[in-house]
Amino acid sequence: MTGASCGVEKTIWDRLFTSLVAAIYIFLMFPIVLVVLLSFNSGEFLAFPLEGFSLRWFEALFSNKRFLDATLYSIQIAAVSTIVNGVIGTLAAIYVARYAKVARDFMRLIMTAPLLVPEILTAIALLFYFYEIRIGTDYSIGIQIGHIVVTFPYVFLNVSSALFNFDRSQEEAARSLGASGWMTFRRVTLPAIKPGIITGCLFAFVISFDIFNISLLLKSLGKNTLPLELFDYLRFNFDPTAAAIASLSIFMTFTAILIIDRTVGLRSLRF
Amino acid sequence: MSALEAVPRIESRSNRGSATWMVVPALVLLIGFFALPYLTIITMSLREASTRAVYGEGLTLSHYTTALGDFYIWGILGRTLLIGATVTVLSLLLGYPVAYHLAKSRSRWTSLLYIFVLSPLLVGLVVRTFAWMIILSNNGVANQALKAIGLITFPLQLMNNSLGVTIALTHVFLPFIILPLLGNLQAISPDLAMASRSLGASRMRTFWKVTLPLSMPGIQAGTILVFVLSISAYVTPAMLGGTGGRTMSVLVVQYLVDNFRWPAGAALAIIMAAVAVMFVGLYLKLTARAMRRLP
Repeated sequence: MTGASCGVEKTIWDRLFTSLVAAIYIFLMFPIVLVVLLSFNSGEFLAFPLEGFSLRWFEALFSNKRFLDATLYSIQIAAVSTIVNGVIGTLAAIYVARYAKVARDFMRLIMTAPLLVPEILTAIALLFYFYEIRIGTDYSIGIQIGHIVVTFPYVFLNVSSALFNFDRSQEEAARSLGASGWMTFRRVTLPAIKPGIITGCLFAFVISFDIFNISLLLKSLGKNTLPLELFDYLRFNFDPTAAAIASLSIFMTFTAILIIDRTVGLRSLRF
Repeated sequence: MSALEAVPRIESRSNRGSATWMVVPALVLLIGFFALPYLTIITMSLREASTRAVYGEGLTLSHYTTALGDFYIWGILGRTLLIGATVTVLSLLLGYPVAYHLAKSRSRWTSLLYIFVLSPLLVGLVVRTFAWMIILSNNGVANQALKAIGLITFPLQLMNNSLGVTIALTHVFLPFIILPLLGNLQAISPDLAMASRSLGASRMRTFWKVTLPLSMPGIQAGTILVFVLSISAYVTPAMLGGTGGRTMSVLVVQYLVDNFRWPAGAALAIIMAAVAVMFVGLYLKLTARAMRRLP
């Protein structure tokens, strides 16, 4: 009855609205689908009509040493960022949720600040700073620190949100039954917030794999991450090999999305 | 019950001193490699230029006065702001219907639609901009399609200008306005709209008088996010802006990387940030009036 009164009847406006929304969803997905389609197309050009299915552009990609090196370098940087942030981001989230009293708001602010300011400004700041403190950009340490800083908030926010939803009386029960602090953490708290940690880490990995501005300004000479390599390649070439790289990166992203969706659900993502 | 509650509370108080170590690594990272570096942008912008080193010995305000007296830079700043404002308005117009639809949707496809909204966000910027190059170039998909249906005979210039950058940035940042709006719209009790309807208001009137005003916080948060992101975007204008779509970020990177003029580049970056802060402040002031009527 309430259902009828709040309008299940389809009017012309409903149909118009539905078509509008459908068009916007297509707008959102079209470029991504297009890249994947063209990476499997046998034709020489990045254009329609499609000529046939082929893996030749992926072969071209895998026989290109620069792209392979760049992919490995990106994976290495993203893996280190994920591991470091998985540890220090989780610890910080627990501290802020449990122990920080007076400075809690300030800490929340500084822990999420890298998300709140434009990445290009952070990249510029770090470029100058590394020069001033004599770290420079000759080694990977600069770009690595930059990636850790920018992806830190993703772990912090997702773990914080898991902690917020966690019922602390379980911990109290464990403690009152004689478990030590460490035991309680390992057997009660950690399993409860594990989904938040996993989501945060996956997110940090994907973002670190994708970010560009930090890598552009902090890279050492001759060492490109995959986005940088693609960017350089596109300056002089415009062929389906680029689409194959883009496709690979899209597959990686969708694998991560699928894992998050199957384990904790996409709606629990925090950013 | 009170005994059970009292035990952990005493515990946590005595533990607080010893728990500090947990937050130390994060604070070291974010103060040492985030807060302090931002200060060096300011100090760098005040250094004298030098041809032999990154910067000279003395301090000067000349980078600011030179930049602010340069019509070319004013032009680029104006273009950057115009692109930012257009992208913000477009994303609001396109993002609101999607957020509204997702908030109301009860179908089993909802989670797939949610993936549609989220996935562009997680696909790299270079990849998404590259996709738009395929669409917007002279022989690109858009021009092919327009030719095929007979609307044009010569290709339209859709790239290497502000138009291309605006279109691509709208796509790139659309999820950033949908997600805050979605959170906001889902938090609004459906009872309010239902009450308005049962009192005789039409659905249009209910939307304008109830739902839209209540979603102002989401609109405000989302539009500020998109505005700041789009005026500071580098990848998209650098890849498909050409010289006709050059923005402040592209100019700053050119100063830093190609021309090796760090102090002048730092001053430009600060001017860009200051203008962004001014505009956001003005916007907050203007929208505050609309927000004040909210409960």
